Amino acid sequence: MGNLFGKKKQTRVTEQDKAVLQLKQQRDKLRQYQKRINLRLEKERLLAKQLLKDGKRDKALLLLKKKRYQDQLLDKTENQIGNLERLVQDIEFAQVETKVIQGLKIGNECLKKMHEVMSVEEVERIMDETQDAIEYQRQIDDMLAGSFTQEDEDAVLAELEAITQGDVELPEVPEDELPEVPEATEEKPERDGPRKNPEREMLAA
Amino acid sequence: MSFEWPWQYNFPPFFTLQPNADTRQKQLAAWCSLALSYCRHHKLYTLDVMEAQESPVFNNKKIERKLSMEAIQVVFEQLSKKGNLEWLDKNKSRCLVMWRRPEEWGKLIYQWISKNGMVNSVFTLYELANGDDTEGEEFHSLEEWMLLRSLQALQTDGKAEIITMDDGKGVKFF
Repeated sequence: MGNLFGKKKQTRVTEQDKAVLQLKQQRDKLRQYQKRINLRLEKERLLAKQLLKDGKRDKALLLLKKKRYQDQLLDKTENQIGNLERLVQDIEFAQVETKVIQGLKIGNECLKKMHEVMSVEEVERIMDETQDAIEYQRQIDDMLAGSFTQEDEDAVLAELEAITQGDVELPEVPEDELPEVPEATEEKPERDGPRKNPEREMLAA
Repeated sequence: MSFEWPWQYNFPPFFTLQPNADTRQKQLAAWCSLALSYCRHHKLYTLDVMEAQESPVFNNKKIERKLSMEAIQVVFEQLSKKGNLEWLDKNKSRCLVMWRRPEEWGKLIYQWISKNGMVNSVFTLYELANGDDTEGEEFHSLEEWMLLRSLQALQTDGKAEIITMDDGKGVKFF
């Protein structure tokens, strides 16, 4: 139908697929042949039994000879099927392998292209430049830090000292004795707790 | 598992086409579903009208009633209108029954394929319908025309491609 407009549809079936199909078709034929022989064997076995019952030993023997021959045929076909299936599997595995190699190839090419973008000289140059820039930045930092005189530095340190000292200062300990807490009002501290806290904080400040 | 007959099957008037249009319509619908489920149960894909008359579906020996030839034709025509049946010849003596649409069969087959990791593989039609691997699957021993149609349905979805070779056909799943 696709040919109607002179445009052939893109087929995804490869030559290998066709080969596999052919092999499988051969296998199917052998399988059918096997089934046929198996059925015939069964029939002949029954017939031989019947002949023995009827006392026709010679005929039964002849039949069994024929059966034996067919048994051998069956073995041969089994072997052939095995061969065909092995071949099919080999082809399928080879297909998988080619896919793997294709994947590796694409990955390799991609890696190569990316390496082209970043040559060793380029990297060296960039690293050098970065180093230079860092150096430059340090110079600027030094210059800026240098604008402070020793006096300033001392003042800053002193201020820092003062701040840390201030932190350690503790509030005065209250001298009056605590009132005794009656046991019945055990829950009270819970209520008082949050109210006391801000007072303490204020003292600290 | 034996086939479960609907209650109408033992109801003698069911075997005579009813004159009342409304009743007749209901009766035909019942016949259609009976015929389809019978075919589904026995996995029948082709029917012969002459043989159908003798089959237990249209011939209830217990109550000694059978559907007349003309009535069977009417039922079949009804099925054909619904798309479940296709005539094989002009005389309308043989037909294909589709109690499952090709798309549904295709879906079943594709499910099996992907479940077994066989996407991207090639199969012969014989292998799919009669192979040892598909033993026990619903589509085992599916008739070839039906198999081909379900594969064609998959092909239009881009999930399969049918390969035609000198001796026999094959299919590759994607």
